[in-house]
Amino acid sequence: MPEQKETLEYDVLVVGGGIAGGESALNLANIGYKVLLLEKELTIGGKMILLSKVFPTLDCAACITTPKVSEISRHPNITIFTSTVAKKINKIAEHRFEAVILKKPRYVNVPDCTGCQLCEEACPVSVTDQYQYGLVGRKAAYIPFSIASPRAAAIDIDNCTLCGACERACPTKCIDFTQTEEEYLVKVKSVVVATGFNLFDPLKIPRYGFGKFKNVITSMQMERQLAPTRPFNTILRPGDGKMPDNIAYVLCTGSRDKTVGNPICSQICCMYSIKQAQLLMGALPMADITIYYLHIRAFGKGFNEFYAQAQDMGVEFVKGKVGKITENEDGNLILRYEDIESGVVKEAEHDMVVLSVGVLPNMEISETFENKNLELDPFNFVGQPDILASPAKTSIEGVFVAGTASGPMDIPDSILSGGAASAETTSYLRRASL
Amino acid sequence: MKKKIGVYICHCGGNISDYVDVEQVRKAVENEPGVFLAKTTMFACADSNQKEMVEDIAAQHLDGVVVASCSPKLHLITFRAVTERAGLNKYNYVHANIREQVSWAHSDNKPGATEKAIRIVKSAIAKVNRSESLEPVKVSATKAVAVIGAGVAGMRAAIELAEAGSEVYLIEREHFVGGRVAQFDDLCVSTETGKTLVTRLYDEVMKHKHVTLFTGAEVIETSGSVGNFNLKVKVVPRYIELRCKEHQLQDAIDVCPVQVPDEFNFNITMRKAIYHNYPSEYPQLPAIDIKNCTRCGECEKVCENINFDQKTEYLNLKVGSILLATGFDPYEPKRGEFGYGEIENVVTLPQFKRIMHYSKDKLMYRGKQIKHIAYIYCVGSRQVDGENKYCSRYCCTATIHSAVTAKNKFKDIYNYHFNRGIRTYGKQEVLYDESSRKGDIYLQSFEDAPPVVEKKGDKTIVKITDILTNNKELEVEADLVVLVTGMVPRKENSIAGLLKVPKGRDNFFNEIHMKLRPVETVIDGITIAGASQGPKNIMESMNSALSAATKSFSIVNAGELALEPTVAKIDKENCEWCGKCDEACPYSAFTKIEYNGKFIAEVNETICKGCGMCLPVCDTNAIELIGFTDKEVESMIDALV
Ligand SMILES: Cc1cc2nc3c(=O)[nH]c(=O)nc-3n(C[C@H](O)[C@H](O)[C@H](O)COP(=O)(O)OP(=O)(O)OC[C@H]3O[C@@H](n4cnc5c(N)ncnc54)[C@H](O)[C@@H]3O)c2cc1C
Ligand SMILES: Cc1cc2nc3c(=O)[nH]c(=O)nc-3n(C[C@H](O)[C@H](O)[C@H](O)COP(=O)(O)OP(=O)(O)OC[C@H]3O[C@@H](n4cnc5c(N)ncnc54)[C@H](O)[C@@H]3O)c2cc1C
Ligand code: SF4
Repeated sequence: MPEQKETLEYDVLVVGGGIAGGESALNLANIGYKVLLLEKELTIGGKMILLSKVFPTLDCAACITTPKVSEISRHPNITIFTSTVAKKINKIAEHRFEAVILKKPRYVNVPDCTGCQLCEEACPVSVTDQYQYGLVGRKAAYIPFSIASPRAAAIDIDNCTLCGACERACPTKCIDFTQTEEEYLVKVKSVVVATGFNLFDPLKIPRYGFGKFKNVITSMQMERQLAPTRPFNTILRPGDGKMPDNIAYVLCTGSRDKTVGNPICSQICCMYSIKQAQLLMGALPMADITIYYLHIRAFGKGFNEFYAQAQDMGVEFVKGKVGKITENEDGNLILRYEDIESGVVKEAEHDMVVLSVGVLPNMEISETFENKNLELDPFNFVGQPDILASPAKTSIEGVFVAGTASGPMDIPDSILSGGAASAETTSYLRRASL
Repeated sequence: MKKKIGVYICHCGGNISDYVDVEQVRKAVENEPGVFLAKTTMFACADSNQKEMVEDIAAQHLDGVVVASCSPKLHLITFRAVTERAGLNKYNYVHANIREQVSWAHSDNKPGATEKAIRIVKSAIAKVNRSESLEPVKVSATKAVAVIGAGVAGMRAAIELAEAGSEVYLIEREHFVGGRVAQFDDLCVSTETGKTLVTRLYDEVMKHKHVTLFTGAEVIETSGSVGNFNLKVKVVPRYIELRCKEHQLQDAIDVCPVQVPDEFNFNITMRKAIYHNYPSEYPQLPAIDIKNCTRCGECEKVCENINFDQKTEYLNLKVGSILLATGFDPYEPKRGEFGYGEIENVVTLPQFKRIMHYSKDKLMYRGKQIKHIAYIYCVGSRQVDGENKYCSRYCCTATIHSAVTAKNKFKDIYNYHFNRGIRTYGKQEVLYDESSRKGDIYLQSFEDAPPVVEKKGDKTIVKITDILTNNKELEVEADLVVLVTGMVPRKENSIAGLLKVPKGRDNFFNEIHMKLRPVETVIDGITIAGASQGPKNIMESMNSALSAATKSFSIVNAGELALEPTVAKIDKENCEWCGKCDEACPYSAFTKIEYNGKFIAEVNETICKGCGMCLPVCDTNAIELIGFTDKEVESMIDALV
């Protein structure tokens, strides 16, 4: 049984601490509302904080996310709970919501942790690092990554052997194995759902060999290899640690594909793949990059120009559908694809393949709402019943949606949608006070 | 001179340290005059480092701080806030850019990069040695916002601002609201029509007592700055008193002898000088287009409510923030572009939407039934040779939607899509799928070989080398050719000049930061929404309108605003008013005043942005820039060379 804590009261509950939830929370806090921001991970920042650089400006993602994240975490009107999810949310009346939230123990007293990483060094357990998308290992006592917020250690209790090495190593004695799950009742006037998206799991397309062929990786793994908080100091293919010099991108992996149950376009993969291709050309000047695509969706501000820039840099674009990937003895990969321009099935060899995995809905939040139904759209994203006039409105009055929780979108669109959610919340709250 | 300067040199996770030896930089500056501590850090901007800086400043009583990192555009404010949190006046912070100006620019020369970084950091140290504590200029903000443009974005923003508690002036140049959306019936992503959406928004606008709508209105002069903008608005009358009785109005329209192309129908029809666009449009009062009216007086004879004595009015409004939602123009193809203007059955997509609107059971154009429709995509967008390099975003989806609608509404429609790679991003993809399933034919041209529209006898032919069928040369005979015209910035866009809002390389209004601040501009207090910032569909326009409303609201809601004190300062004794500073100032911050029996220049601190344009033109050296005084700048130059 989790420990029952006191009841908390805020104006708004924002669920999800990615860029969309963060933008909503900041806007509301700047207007003067008290916000509780829930994040199920150990750090806020969502996917964006883990990216390398962003299209089409090539701003370093860490450099533009960290100030935002630190503004959020410092704001006097925002309270952040990490490692926390909403268990249930009930609408009692107009402008009255009650949520039960569950905070998992971190086994570290965050204010006392200096982030010195001595516990990491001391811990004997090695497991794969989820924040590096499995590319490398981490300890059971660990700091998620260097720009995490909060930048504090956590104990992965599922893998911890309770050997006590970290406790002995910690200079501030901030490790506390007596922490337990805490449950709070939260009373708020309005809720913003900003729970983001899931990435398509390429194991669902066995013919691409992900999981079997080591040199087939996902775009998120490549994103990590290119990020400033990267696991290696350069780009390596996981099979043998060789620097690749002929990389292929397979677009629409898990998108626009009814056979895997996802008919829609993920809206971001073309652009992030083009971005990664450009970054790779900088990191590995001798490497050839080929992008296998069906259509390039370079639709946003500056996107088409960015696409043209990649073509000028020498990125190869092949209009073709990849059917199957096989592996050579040397770890190189053979792509069998239908070349649309010639209408012929061809084969090409590459030494590394990046699957540009698509955006899937994160449906867990809809089950959180108990007495009201948070309706989903046909693709299981949060539904937008008044999509033209009020895109942030959901089927429950007083509950608004921000960012990729309502569908695939890039960072600027997530920011705009977060802004829309905060605007609608503001007028909803004002109606409460009139 | 300072005694306790803290210097922080950032690795930027390799962005800097891969090329600049940051440890060497640290060593080179740690003994500079005034430097008390010098540290390197992996990410200066990370929360943990900020915390450490606050502790250093407070515990060691630092009196000046330098961070050598990325561009001040990104993080000047971040580190100023750090010093402030630690209790040190934030103008004792100086930013050194060793990323954009050093590591990224000199990645081919690591020793040289390190040397340059050392000099840049030294010059920042020289400046901070001479920095002074400054207090912000305080101004009170007027709790009102002017929203320019009553398209869907402008109306939505106005409603939101009023709901949040601001006074709103909604200024629309046309006599009718709704912008482009009023011109379209069926819309994609929803079953709602353009008209019902506009009606819904208009009703809400009118319901709010805090929104004042001006139609036929345009801003002609502006002054002031964030918190207190003054706008002069010209309001052209409708020349019609009250709501005409329906039959009288129709009589008046009937008798009007003037015929002008009807812009509402994208010039496929004509209208009179007294007009309304459609029966239920808003405001529900027709207007006389005085530019084209010949004052023949015919309408007055049949309608008692016409009043030519109504005068153009000029209003002065004071607002704390301005939200621009002036929208877009559809691209107007050049004469002969894909046969436009030369072949009679070549029209644009907006015209096609109006043609569908006017057709009943059969799709008709110029008296002929239309069955075979060829859509040519990307006209005016993604130009290989022309200026518009960008993709217009809305058009693939809007075209497929129109094609599907045509098929559902009229019999015997065959659609041929001559595209350059369909961009139905996101959920819009299902529409593409639907149209393919319904038998629409897609043909794709090479980037450098667009389709050709030709007349063959009395037939109109579209030719293409089609990528999708193994480069076959194909021909389609079309009853109607629809040019899928993109979005371009408004032709009449003088408002941008008045307000000095910058435009991007695509000529749409430019945001301050494309990723993180998409609705704010470099002009404090001015936000941008909808298609004026770049092509958008309605949902995206609404999101940006609501975001802009939030940003504008938080400005006017603040009550008091703190502005940068780093502004120009006049040495009254030395100034002899020659007027050169006034000419040089891009913001019109100077006024001529009398002082001790002579004329001198005075700076309006709330308008001055501290850009420094006035300094070099002043013959008597009577202007100093606070925060960039001569002694500060000279010391920086000494440290650099
Ligand atoms: C490989 C890759 C590269 C990309 N590159 C770019 C780029 O260059 N430029 C660009 O503009 N975009 C890029 N994107 C897209 C960008 O990542 C998204 O637009 C953005 O992250 C969306 O933000 P969000 O806040 O909506 O969602 P998320 O980032 O998914 O954040 C959602 C947050 O909510 C939390 N959460 C989820 N469920 C719960 C719950 N029940 N309770 C509490 N918290 C919860 C999650 O832990 C997460 O922190 C890229 C995406 C990928 C996959
Ligand atoms: C052919 C076509 C079909 C489309 N179909 C769809 C669709 O099916 N679904 C969809 O979601 N989107 C569609 N769109 C996109 C949609 O039209 C835009 O998203 C929308 O119009 C943007 O709204 P806005 O308010 O930003 O601009 P606008 O609609 O252009 O409105 C701007 C307003 O500002 C006024 N204005 C301009 N300058 C001034 C000034 N200086 N002072 C005062 N007022 C001024 C104008 O008169 C106008 O009323 C379509 C667009 C086109 C061209
Ligand atoms: S949206 Fe489609 S038609 Fe419009 S410019 Fe882009 S690619 Fe061309």
